[in-house]
Amino acid sequence: MRTINRRTALSALGTLSAGAAAVALAGCTPPSAATVGKRKKDVRTITVGSKGFAESWIMGELYAQGLRALGYQVDLKTNVGSSDIISAALTSGQIDVYPEYTGVILVSFMGEESLMDSAEATYDLAGKWAKGNSIRMLKATPFENKNAIAVRREFADEHSLAKISDLQGIGDFLYSTYPDNVTGAQGYEGIVESYGLDNMELKTLSIGLNYQAIERGEIQAADVFTTDPQLLRSDLVVLDDDKKLFGFQNVVPLIRDDAYAAMDDDAPAFLDTLHSLLTLEAIQALNEASAINRIDAAQVAKVFLKDNGLM
Amino acid sequence: MSGFAPAGDPVIPDYGQASDCVINNGFFCTDWFASQWSTVFWPPLVDHIYMVLIAVVVGFLIAFTAALIAYRKKWLAGPIGVAATFLYTLPPLALFQLLVPFTGLTLLTVEIALVCFTLVIIFQAVLAGLAAVPDDVKRSAVGMGLDTKQLMLKVELPLALPSIISGLRIATVLTVSVATIAAFVVDSGLGSPILKAVSSPFNTQFIAAGALAVLLAFVLDGLLVLIGRILTPWTRVRI
Repeated sequence: MRTINRRTALSALGTLSAGAAAVALAGCTPPSAATVGKRKKDVRTITVGSKGFAESWIMGELYAQGLRALGYQVDLKTNVGSSDIISAALTSGQIDVYPEYTGVILVSFMGEESLMDSAEATYDLAGKWAKGNSIRMLKATPFENKNAIAVRREFADEHSLAKISDLQGIGDFLYSTYPDNVTGAQGYEGIVESYGLDNMELKTLSIGLNYQAIERGEIQAADVFTTDPQLLRSDLVVLDDDKKLFGFQNVVPLIRDDAYAAMDDDAPAFLDTLHSLLTLEAIQALNEASAINRIDAAQVAKVFLKDNGLM
Repeated sequence: MSGFAPAGDPVIPDYGQASDCVINNGFFCTDWFASQWSTVFWPPLVDHIYMVLIAVVVGFLIAFTAALIAYRKKWLAGPIGVAATFLYTLPPLALFQLLVPFTGLTLLTVEIALVCFTLVIIFQAVLAGLAAVPDDVKRSAVGMGLDTKQLMLKVELPLALPSIISGLRIATVLTVSVATIAAFVVDSGLGSPILKAVSSPFNTQFIAAGALAVLLAFVLDGLLVLIGRILTPWTRVRI
């Protein structure tokens, strides 16, 4: 639950109305008659969904626009909501495909208490959930987006910090997270307990204010997301989660089996190619265009697909 | 590991440099507003107008019919009024969520909820307008030989028009505002940029979309006032 809360709240770094642009763009990518003509299977509309935050809106746009370019009829439902809402929409058939984080599948859908200790194990376990729910899971992105602790570079140098357990015994310091993320195994209290960080004092800040606070030196450590574009600009060091407390959060497309069956091979092939291109560097750039430049998610996705020859 | 796409070599696009106002989330970035108007604001504005018009027209047809029936069969006025009031008291967000399992994340869900909120206002306005027609006016009309249908069309409805129009005005302004909540169900209407900019947070988008909703409410209200004046010229010739 923690992860979803955080993610939902993180809707932060949002951009412009992705939906607005979706409407505007709907007419811009007419499926060419030739591509549609060669579809051997029934042409059915594929409904793509996305969750309630900017990174998901961009992923949804990437799926939708890429599939449209292949000649599929695509209906995009942006900003459907939290993991619980969107997974219900998927299993009930209101949407056919959406991007989900492997760790979220474990924690929110399977009720796993402890997270796996590798990205592969997380992926494999999530795959079992998918199989049991008539959902096809395609390849995961190289990037993952999860909670992490970032510290100022000078603070890291001063105490030679590389991993979270290095924070032990360095004297009292201030750590910030948002108010909903204090309790729970992966919240502030969980971190203090797992890593034995009695010297880590808490300051709660609304999401989005942590970067300003750490840049001004008001706090020494902050709860961040690994794909936050601010990490590209701030002089921060992300500490290694050496006890694997935060789990693994690569993104996979979840596709209903019936929608998968209605697709030709080119659709999963496109999604696999797209996912292979989504490195940490790439997703941070996309998130930056969205969160810093405030470019509409649809535009952000379109430029990326074009520059990478996917449309 | 087969589950993972092998890291490719993506071309990272150059998205250009944002203005200082945009980067620092200034109060209102005119440059950004102007450049994003056609993608971020115009389509949701058009959607919003459609959403409101459909809700008010459908709501009017239902409530107007119900009011005519209740006017004829007085004992129905109570139950219909209570039912409409009940629908009105439901919190909009709860109603949207309640409908989703049945009608999905669709415009239909939104319209059902919006129509529900217009019903009681329009129903009461029509009924009150009809009830306020003076008895002696009706008696003299009957005395002049008008039958029930003529009485309704030529006397009662015209005299009730100001009340009906004022009900429509309230219903329309209310619907413009409630329709912004629809963004929780469908990514459409002015609520969509507002919702996204609240979580971001990005002042320009939030303020611009909110201001557009206010402006839209004023314009639609003004239009109804105008229609009311055109339809009831006698209200102005009275000396």
